Amino acid sequence: MAVTDRVHWIGAFDPKMRTFDVILKTPNGTTYNAYLVRGSEGVAVIDTVKAETADQFFTRLEAVADYSEIKVIVLNHLEPDHSGALPELMRRAPQATLYISDAAQLMLKALLNNSNIAYTPVTTNDRVSLGDRTLRFLNTPYLHWPDTQCTYLEEEGVLFSGDVFGCHYCDEQLFNDSVGDFRFSFEYYYSHIMRPFKQYVLSALELIEPLQINLIAPTHGPILRDHPRHYVERYRELSTPQLHLEIDHDVKTMLIFYISSYGNTMHMAEAIRDGALEIGGFRISLYDLEGGEVEPFVDLVEDADAILVGSPTINGDAVKPVWDLLSSFAKINVKGKVAGAFGSYGWSGEAVRMVEDRLRGLKMRVPAGGLRIKLIPSDVELEDCRDYGRDIGAFLMGKPRAREIDMSQL
Amino acid sequence: MAKAKIKFADVNVTVTVPVGTRIIEISEKVGSYIAYNCREGDCGSCLFTVLDGAENLSTPSSLEEATLFAHFQEVLDGWRSAGDLESLQSMMRRENFAGKTCRLACQTQVFGDATVAPI
Repeated sequence: MAVTDRVHWIGAFDPKMRTFDVILKTPNGTTYNAYLVRGSEGVAVIDTVKAETADQFFTRLEAVADYSEIKVIVLNHLEPDHSGALPELMRRAPQATLYISDAAQLMLKALLNNSNIAYTPVTTNDRVSLGDRTLRFLNTPYLHWPDTQCTYLEEEGVLFSGDVFGCHYCDEQLFNDSVGDFRFSFEYYYSHIMRPFKQYVLSALELIEPLQINLIAPTHGPILRDHPRHYVERYRELSTPQLHLEIDHDVKTMLIFYISSYGNTMHMAEAIRDGALEIGGFRISLYDLEGGEVEPFVDLVEDADAILVGSPTINGDAVKPVWDLLSSFAKINVKGKVAGAFGSYGWSGEAVRMVEDRLRGLKMRVPAGGLRIKLIPSDVELEDCRDYGRDIGAFLMGKPRAREIDMSQL
Repeated sequence: MAKAKIKFADVNVTVTVPVGTRIIEISEKVGSYIAYNCREGDCGSCLFTVLDGAENLSTPSSLEEATLFAHFQEVLDGWRSAGDLESLQSMMRRENFAGKTCRLACQTQVFGDATVAPI
């Protein structure tokens, strides 16, 4: 299918796909988009398809070019849904040069289990000529793997964006002005694939926004030829921290979540908040998980600087609303945020350490050991809570108190 | 058991550890902002700076040197246009790869007192 005079879509339709990569629901199926670019001195193939749909790919490729014409193969991303047909393509076009990002090199060998593959690593502003057409590479790591890059066809203003600006939506009309309403899929895809990498999206947009873009050709879903820049702008909107649009950039925020069986963990939470307030200089919110839905909290966590989580211990574990909250952190980037755990317990008390381990597992910064109190906090123990709040608050404000500890205490 | 003191400047914490402990084992527990991903020396994300006591840390392995070099290659790429890439690489090796400044937390063991900080 012709995308422009010089660009053909040679991908594959997968309308019956219902769950992608275990976690993504795909009620409309998906497409694996691959493209062929014809220049005066050769042909380039940009991305391939999932192995199971390779027949479609090769049939469409053969309809518009001979294998002997292929001079260039570009893989913008090596996930198997884009690299599945690569080995066979390289077998059929052995004269072609494979271009991948620097970070893709080890992945390529691991994916294909072949260390003898010839390739050329490229980075931002490296170019490859097809005679009267030029491909320029943009290194856009972590969108959403370390290896991801975009490829820009300069003379036509076509951005082969990889997974960026894509979505799982299968419609043989292919173009965004012809297919059905795919807004849900576009937003859903961003939310589940790109959202944890917002900072990297913003970095990539610095490279993409200055380009003259006539058309965006992603690896999944509709090709964006009608108002392509709208999708670029939407990515910037979705990737910009919302809280800082409303308050000063410098104001830090701390969120304290708790759930409490008999009010003891709640009293701990309140005392921790009071201690943190003594440090001041940042905003604190206190939320009872029993009274809230997780999803809105995720939005808050994404913009927050510190997150404390309080849970009682029931049957040797933290309680379900706490795990629901913590599991939802996987959808966003919490790496480097300040975190801590606390909770009252009756006769065992494993929850705090388990929550703390989870926070560290998410690569959050846990500057002080979790605070556990048996049953009802005494006045002295409530002062410990306030002190814990002061510790976390001082840490958050970049003025951590000096401490000397033995590793056995950690 | 021989012990050493390692100070994490960014969080103002000094931890007494058994000799041989890796930096990352401590940094993640005190909330230091030394990032990490693979913990195997491949990704290069756990870079940190040695402010004092570099001689008390383990000698960089060939894996660590290779990863550090790859990391700084990104910096060097930006300097390509300035030419003289070879001398820049030599400088980076001499100043940063010999255990003086930049190390990987997942690879570096503590053998004596030192002060470190995230990059």
